[in-house]
Amino acid sequence: MSETKYLETHEWYIVDGENFTVGISDFAQGELGDIVFVTLPEVGQEFTKGDSIVEVEATKTVAEAYAPMDCVITEVNTNLESEPELINNDPVGDGWMIKAKINEMNDSGMTYQEYESFIS
Amino acid sequence: MTKLKTTSLYEFHISKNSKMIDFAGWSMPFSYDGTLKEHNYVRQSAGYFDVSHMGRLRLSYSQIEEINYLICSELKDIDNKKDLYSIFTSDTGTAIDDVIFWKFEDDLILICNAINTSKIKNHLNSNSISYEDLTYDTDLIAVQGKNAISIIEDMMLIPEKFSTSKNSKYIYARTGYTGEDGIEVMLDQKDTLNFIQQLEEKGVMPCGLGSRDTLRLEASLPLYGFELTDDITPVEAGLKWTLSNKSDYIGKQVIEEQLNSKNHKFLKKFKLNAKQIARTGTVCKVGNINGIVTSGNISPILGHPIGFALFETNPPDNLVEFDIRGNLIEGNLLDKRFLS
Repeated sequence: MSETKYLETHEWYIVDGENFTVGISDFAQGELGDIVFVTLPEVGQEFTKGDSIVEVEATKTVAEAYAPMDCVITEVNTNLESEPELINNDPVGDGWMIKAKINEMNDSGMTYQEYESFIS
Repeated sequence: MTKLKTTSLYEFHISKNSKMIDFAGWSMPFSYDGTLKEHNYVRQSAGYFDVSHMGRLRLSYSQIEEINYLICSELKDIDNKKDLYSIFTSDTGTAIDDVIFWKFEDDLILICNAINTSKIKNHLNSNSISYEDLTYDTDLIAVQGKNAISIIEDMMLIPEKFSTSKNSKYIYARTGYTGEDGIEVMLDQKDTLNFIQQLEEKGVMPCGLGSRDTLRLEASLPLYGFELTDDITPVEAGLKWTLSNKSDYIGKQVIEEQLNSKNHKFLKKFKLNAKQIARTGTVCKVGNINGIVTSGNISPILGHPIGFALFETNPPDNLVEFDIRGNLIEGNLLDKRFLS
């Protein structure tokens, strides 16, 4: 597995071979506040880089997570349906959102250090 | 960008790792432990809020007739030591601000929304009513919750509900904006930290404006700028109960016409049969009657989204359809309060 990379739109992804896992950053969950509902895509759904893949409802506002690359969803974190707070508690771990097969590799995300200086 | 105003507790909030937001020109705590946790502190035990951004004006008792003419409720005939929620109305009957009066034997304390403090001061000036602005010399702390009264009763004498009191340190009333019992205390800035430390020692938790908003919404209470504006009358906002002013007042004619004709906008409470939140600005429809959401959020206690929506006329039934980012989501209008 490669290192965790971050996007300017505050998603993280980890590439594992032809697949990746996607979620939102700790900074993003902190900005959103308590997450109360997540609309996940369906397995098999296809997305182009930049498409909205997940909708996150928080007490403060609603936000979207965007596809880091062209991909097809292979798995969604169904635990988020009953425990959306997993994203608040462990955004880069148990709070992952989707796994997908990458259609076109574009591993151009920021490293954690780069992302940290981006948000500060 | 103009510099944000801060309350005397600003450094304290920062030391508590509060997330700060810009609210009506003030840098205020949004949350400390998270909005849902803070919501539950108040519903299950007690929390305190720094609401020192709200305007606080002292008015002499001798002006009570003139003040009574500017609001839709009866202030001059209620007993001393009572508090009064009322609305300053314009000549078209719309809301200039919704406010609280604390009525004492010698003076009145007027508490207005932070966003409207200058507007209210200008309105009083143009009606030749004098006031002393206490906003920058005092703080206002709301202690709210199921256990709030039992926790603070050894700190001060507790008045009856909706009544005021004062001692050498505190001017206060048994009022609030959360749907729970509690006290709102105005005090000298030099005494605030000590007061808060006493509260914290008794287990009262700090709460921010995020939970204040979810609590007031769940308690079916309006927020100026959303449910009440310069374009909405108390009748339209469903606040007919505030129309207790027996004398003449500004805007009375329009308000009475609306009461008789029922030809006006209608603010309604709603709940959603889904998890998506219908937020401020979401359009909705009951049959062919259009509405727009004024406030919407999750109700942490009920577990589903709730809110207020303003309709152009009285909706004929209670089935409402919201357009949430292109998805049509059904909900129901409610006559009763969200929490019984």
